[in-house]
Amino acid sequence: MGKNGYQQQAMGIYQFISEHLYFNRPDMEIKGERFNSAILLSLLTGLRKGKELIIGEPGLGKTTSAEYVCSLIYQFPLGVIWGSEVSGHPEQTEEKIIGRPDLGKLNRGEEDVVWTNFSQIPVKIVDEINRLPETKQSMILDGVDRGNWEYLNEMIINDEYCLFATANYQDGGTNTIIAPLVDRFDVMVESRYPGANLSFLIGKDKRKDHVLRHPKFERDLTHVLKSKIAYEKKIPKMEEVCNDYGEYLLKAIGVKPFQRQDRDQIRAEMESVDLDLDASAFTRMVLAELSFCERYGQKRVVETCEEGCHYTGYLCYQIKNCASNRLPSSIKQYAQGLAWLLEDSQIDIEHIQAIIPYTLAHRIQWKEEVLSQKERAKRDDPFPIFLAKEAVKTISQRYREQSDHLKDALAIGSKIFQGGDWEPLEGDHPLYVEVKKDINGRKS
Amino acid sequence: MKPTVSPKKKFFIPSNKVYWTAKNPFEEFKAFIGSTPELPLDQIVQCTEAIMDRIRWGYEKLLEEEAKELVWMVQYNTIIKAYEVAEKYVKEVDYTAEDIEDFCFALENTQKIPYLIPGPAGVYISALCNYAKEEEIVLKLSELKTEINLIGFRLPRGKRLMIEGDTGDFTGIGLEGGELVIEGNAKNWTGAGMRGGKILVKKNIGLHTGEWMMGGEIYVGGRVRGLGNIVEGKVYERDKLVYPGKVRYPNHFY
Repeated sequence: MGKNGYQQQAMGIYQFISEHLYFNRPDMEIKGERFNSAILLSLLTGLRKGKELIIGEPGLGKTTSAEYVCSLIYQFPLGVIWGSEVSGHPEQTEEKIIGRPDLGKLNRGEEDVVWTNFSQIPVKIVDEINRLPETKQSMILDGVDRGNWEYLNEMIINDEYCLFATANYQDGGTNTIIAPLVDRFDVMVESRYPGANLSFLIGKDKRKDHVLRHPKFERDLTHVLKSKIAYEKKIPKMEEVCNDYGEYLLKAIGVKPFQRQDRDQIRAEMESVDLDLDASAFTRMVLAELSFCERYGQKRVVETCEEGCHYTGYLCYQIKNCASNRLPSSIKQYAQGLAWLLEDSQIDIEHIQAIIPYTLAHRIQWKEEVLSQKERAKRDDPFPIFLAKEAVKTISQRYREQSDHLKDALAIGSKIFQGGDWEPLEGDHPLYVEVKKDINGRKS
Repeated sequence: MKPTVSPKKKFFIPSNKVYWTAKNPFEEFKAFIGSTPELPLDQIVQCTEAIMDRIRWGYEKLLEEEAKELVWMVQYNTIIKAYEVAEKYVKEVDYTAEDIEDFCFALENTQKIPYLIPGPAGVYISALCNYAKEEEIVLKLSELKTEINLIGFRLPRGKRLMIEGDTGDFTGIGLEGGELVIEGNAKNWTGAGMRGGKILVKKNIGLHTGEWMMGGEIYVGGRVRGLGNIVEGKVYERDKLVYPGKVRYPNHFY
């Protein structure tokens, strides 16, 4: 891994955005290297075909950070990205998001669809998603989940896409993003204030993003997107223009964006990165704590914990809902991306610990007493991310204490599964109970 | 017409069907070989015991070679010879300051060491201190029933030895530039023959203090029972210079 130089290319994009376009302070550290979470996770979202929710105060670069990353990963000029964004407001319609009838053809009695840029290009940015009505949020997330965009009786299929949605904190003009929709986002990250000094520099350099604009390529791409040819035929034409724009970027700013075959290769490399045993055992431990209930079989948002439960000290006692099946795939997806980027051959516990808070923050529903207890705690992160980071710290401590025993329990579980005559190991953590349940399920 | 026999549900499995085996959710741990649990504390105890055995063995060899009849006369030659033997064994052991303290208590409390002769014990402890890796050594000996003689023998420059508790006779003799601090009392012949460095006794000091002392300083927080024949150096009693000074009669109260 790392021989084709893609990691250096990706880090080059990170550096360029960090140093010239999106002024920031690093807020996360992995293996001694410091990163800004908003840029790093956006980069991974773009490369990993993920779904990212960016939160933050108005005007702190939620949308622009996503635009810069997408422009450099997918080789789209900024103007095209702007033209394909969906802005969240209550009157937003399906016709503006997905497609509309071709009125000329309709007059002739034919049915055809004019697809929006949003549905056609791989970069999907939804500005202020929480200002959209829930039906529209659901429509976008369904489309992005499946990669299919349907209108009238027609459909286009995106085989490469990623989603960035921004959301302001709750105010008078916002709807909520309901839990099942929020769960579809792989990660949530905050676009933060860079500090007074860097903010002052931003104020001085108003047109810093003009380097990513190019009227000719923007016109060419718009022309391709508008053309009346089949979507499948548009894609190679689009890539052609994108590649020309990529070459222009290399000459103009010295940054080499990724071409389609590069991105495919990167994804294949990322897919091949596997979890080591500690990373796997730790992730299982987290999932067990987020889903376990001794009394009712699993966590359910409608059921409350019993007083005096033996598992009071674990995370399951502090939360209301159960971890979804999307959570482990988000964790693995982003941890693979991170390990690849850092040129590590395997995903280790550090990658997992770095990624988990951002995959958990928007998914956990904490109990009121936990919220009120920690609300005033000194912190640097937004409350949900802070709580998720604290939870990861607590579980990490537990993992340090019993990692060997836990791995033994899982190894014995494997032996029993293969027909060995072993007794499952006992231990004081929900995961031991889960191992037993799996084994009993097999025996019966 | 109702069927007379109630139909039973049957599962039809095609004969050529490839069965899907249940996925082993613990597959990746298949090859994991659990380590036998070894508590860190056990490892520390084992390691400490091994070091203590080596230190004890050196002490026993010293007694064998230098105190065959369990009698040991404090003469300058015997001290030097004993120190040379002690040096030989101490150099071979990798120990810390804490091990020296443990050895001091083991001298009194363990059955493994058959006898404590304060002279050779002091020479051996001094050698341990002089060859320890640490520059500053603190020995908490206040709980020790026996006052160990000869502590701080030849303490070299750059070393600081602090004793919490009292010491016996010949404390800090032949000091070679180090700093010896006694939090309690020191007995007779303290600092005898010292060539440089500093001895600080927080409480009282006995007779013949600084006998044939060639340099350095002795500070006493309490009383100096008597001075020896001092050649060179300084002795202070409660911040007051008593040697060189008006009163320089050996072993006189003043």
